[in-house]
Amino acid sequence: MSRVLLAPLDPVHDIGLKMIARGLEEAGHETVLLPPDLTPEEIVSQALVKEAQTLLISRTLGYGVAELLARFIDLADAAGLREKARIGIGGMAVRRELAAELGFDAGFGPGTTVEEVACFVERREYVPDPTRTHKEKADMTAGYDYGYRHPGIAAKLAGISALIMDWVKDKTSPGVERARLRDELWDVKRWRSREGNGALFDHYPALCGDVPRKFYESGELHPKTRRFTKDEVTGLENYLAEAKARMSVLKLQHTRRRPLVFNQYGTGCPFMDIGHILASEAWGADGVVHFDPSWGARTEGFLDGFLTHQEDGTVITAANLNRIGAGLEKSTLWQVRAHRGLNTPETVVLAAKLGADLTKINICYGSLGAGTDPERLTVDGYHAILYAKKYNLPFDVVTNEELAGVPAHKAFAGMLIVADLAVRLGARPILQPLFAYSPEVMIHGLMEDNYIDFNAAKVQALRGIVNAPIWPGAPIGFLTHTEDRVQSAMATALHACLAAALEVDAISIASTDEAYSGGPISAPAKVDTLRAVQECFRFLGQAAITPTAKADDYAAAITDGIERVLDEVLRTGDFVAALHAGVLGSREEGAYPGRAGKDTVRTAK
Amino acid sequence: MDKALERVMDALDVETFFVCGSEEAGRNYMLGLLKGFGFKDVDIVFAQYEGPGVRVRGRAYVYRPADRYRWLLTEADGGAGR
Repeated sequence: MSRVLLAPLDPVHDIGLKMIARGLEEAGHETVLLPPDLTPEEIVSQALVKEAQTLLISRTLGYGVAELLARFIDLADAAGLREKARIGIGGMAVRRELAAELGFDAGFGPGTTVEEVACFVERREYVPDPTRTHKEKADMTAGYDYGYRHPGIAAKLAGISALIMDWVKDKTSPGVERARLRDELWDVKRWRSREGNGALFDHYPALCGDVPRKFYESGELHPKTRRFTKDEVTGLENYLAEAKARMSVLKLQHTRRRPLVFNQYGTGCPFMDIGHILASEAWGADGVVHFDPSWGARTEGFLDGFLTHQEDGTVITAANLNRIGAGLEKSTLWQVRAHRGLNTPETVVLAAKLGADLTKINICYGSLGAGTDPERLTVDGYHAILYAKKYNLPFDVVTNEELAGVPAHKAFAGMLIVADLAVRLGARPILQPLFAYSPEVMIHGLMEDNYIDFNAAKVQALRGIVNAPIWPGAPIGFLTHTEDRVQSAMATALHACLAAALEVDAISIASTDEAYSGGPISAPAKVDTLRAVQECFRFLGQAAITPTAKADDYAAAITDGIERVLDEVLRTGDFVAALHAGVLGSREEGAYPGRAGKDTVRTAK
Repeated sequence: MDKALERVMDALDVETFFVCGSEEAGRNYMLGLLKGFGFKDVDIVFAQYEGPGVRVRGRAYVYRPADRYRWLLTEADGGAGR
């Protein structure tokens, strides 16, 4: 037990000291708390009279703090107090560097815990507990039975799923064949043990496009990529080992369990990604999403090796994903996207074998908003779903075609078609509506008053149709962000608050660089948004956000619209033809059937 | 490279309020300031001008993706070490 004198060196503020005093008393120390507005002489005198072994003083006001503290320490020296007591200084105006410079025994800045002060009083070294926030991976699909609450829509979706399954049953593609090779011939344990790729590459190059084929035949790399050097790899291993030893993670949700918070990485460089991911995890992200380059989606086949890329998007290779996955905290959910492009089914297989927790699949968005041929992506998406089921990988069904101008009800119809197909195939889809200031919203004035009603209506509409997990994205607040750091973080945080109030399962958030196009996203930009989201969750707690009556009208209109679109698909009698015909998003609405992979679907042998 | 700069993960942001008469002037002040610090890869992330001056955030990329990051490399390799 120690005798501790606590004194505010301040005219009024002593709340922090009161909390510290209470904590020290609970820890068994004798404390004396002096009132505010005493002079330094009076405080030093009291410390001597009370025979304090520790003196803790606080200062909140910033004006003249350095001079005041310097005078205090001189006075304590002259009075002989320094020989009898250790002196610590804390408070909002105090920085550790200043305290050390002036000769205090300890300095405690804003955010100091009682435990830190108790360690000083008890002459123990303060070691932050790396497990202070214990997180575990959460399965956001648990508890959902995918039962329909809207029988009319359920019946129409059943009819469309039957059409798709009948259409794909005798079809295959180079993407499906590569996925089959990766599934059957690539043993990840042997590969990790440096025993090679088995017979995979005996057959794989023949199914690839020019860039990967040249790579396998002659070692030629994509012009924007390079291999890491040995010293970089060694450096990464050392960096990871040291950062992990210091690592702890924050929890963002305050008193709620949901929503889980995801952010995206994909600087182009797996090493920079790992640095960004560590920062995201430390500041509270529950999950991270792999963002690959757009040219990768237009390329038949994956490259191989440990590669960095000079532009946006980190190249998918086994080695890149393996390094990134190995660096993740045990609690971090890892999503690798397979929602568009020519490597969709193989992405699911590769990601699953390397330990991913989630993927992303949407035939409609990938066909209409992301450049992949509808016929090809219907075949590849179907097989991607089968692999997602096989490897127990839930996936979100993203609806980013809304950003091009497709109305929400059409995007949702496409999402529900893919989700229904997935459930019938035994997979676990997650609905991903956008929380966005979309072209539809702008044109029709759906958010003239607030950003709440239409976003809430989307969740309400989906919940009225099916009992499925909902994960708004991607990122929430899309097209509301500006280049201003404060506005951007706040826009995300307020949308996160709405998501929490709506009790959705997860959200994907942007960084504060979301609207900045001049360069790569920076680590501080990720941290700033996470901090803002944490503060908003703290602000909201268990309280509610109440949409206006318009939300009900919007939800009803979305539901009616979905039903009309499904009717139209059924009338077309062919899902792929419906995609081409604009039923799920027309050219006038900004949806263009993609061309990557055109004429590559063939009849299976 | 300065030891502290070697520890910057990717970019250094500088933000302030310039007393000036236009957004363009404020942007130029910031770019000049960053170049004066010796940075070459500089940009304006955000600038908003109102009557009294401009609120501006400038950025200097210390590293772009695929560069060799000195915070990653060991002392022996000429990096910052850890």
